Amino acid sequence: MRQKLQSALEASALEIEDVSYQHAGHAAVKDNANETHFNIRVISSKFEGQSLVKRHRMVYGLLTDELNSGLHAISIVAKTPTESGS
Amino acid sequence: MARLVSTALVRGLVRSCRAPSAAAVSQSAFQQFMNYSSGIGHSNANGGSSSTGVAADPDTHQDFQPTSKSPSMSFNDIVSQDIKENPVLIYMKGYPDAPRCGFSALAVKVLQRYDVPISARDILGDPKLKESVKAHTNWPTFPQIFIKGEFVGGSDIILDMHQKGQLKDVLGDIAPRVSKAMPHEEDNKLSMGLLFDLVM
Repeated sequence: MRQKLQSALEASALEIEDVSYQHAGHAAVKDNANETHFNIRVISSKFEGQSLVKRHRMVYGLLTDELNSGLHAISIVAKTPTESGS
Repeated sequence: MARLVSTALVRGLVRSCRAPSAAAVSQSAFQQFMNYSSGIGHSNANGGSSSTGVAADPDTHQDFQPTSKSPSMSFNDIVSQDIKENPVLIYMKGYPDAPRCGFSALAVKVLQRYDVPISARDILGDPKLKESVKAHTNWPTFPQIFIKGEFVGGSDIILDMHQKGQLKDVLGDIAPRVSKAMPHEEDNKLSMGLLFDLVM
């Protein structure tokens, strides 16, 4: 997942955090609470000029396979280099 | 049965406003259809509570009835209608007063900071509705928030807009709506076992 996001978005910074444990016992998590909820923080110049919805769609689009197999929710922070102050 | 399902589903739209006092949401989407007053910091003070919050009484919810009474209203139609007719709409897991997901709860809390009527549907109640909404927006997760007919995003985006002050601009011209019916006082005390207590 990291590789996909990294290369497709040419991310200057990418952080992926598996927070599935925070959601164990959640209504939609059946048996396996692993790798179901992630926090993703990505900084990429490709987000320049894109609304938040578009940016999130970009990320979702790259993770379609994962979303179809267990990945249940992701929190996305998607910034441009300028916005992140780096 | 199909007729019952679709009619009830159309009525499954829940409206709420900033009501700090929790109201009953323990009924399934098939049964209930609740309105809350647009309170401004205090609980429903308009009196005149209905006997139950249940959609069984068509008179109370006249203006929320669909114009077409056809039982074969497709989910796509329902979704389109929801989006068109409700200035603030959230497809969520659970209900505004009993969310079943942290992200849904967060989105509701953010929206409730503004004095606007919030319409909500529980997508956990019906997988077909869930799929319809997903197909409509091409967005894989819930909650999904629509403002004035436009898909705005999920809980991340709503929170971000709120923090940046953008949400105020978007919601500013939506008039707080006084609802027609309110849940009976006793309904408020029904089980709220699914309520997540989030600290913002």
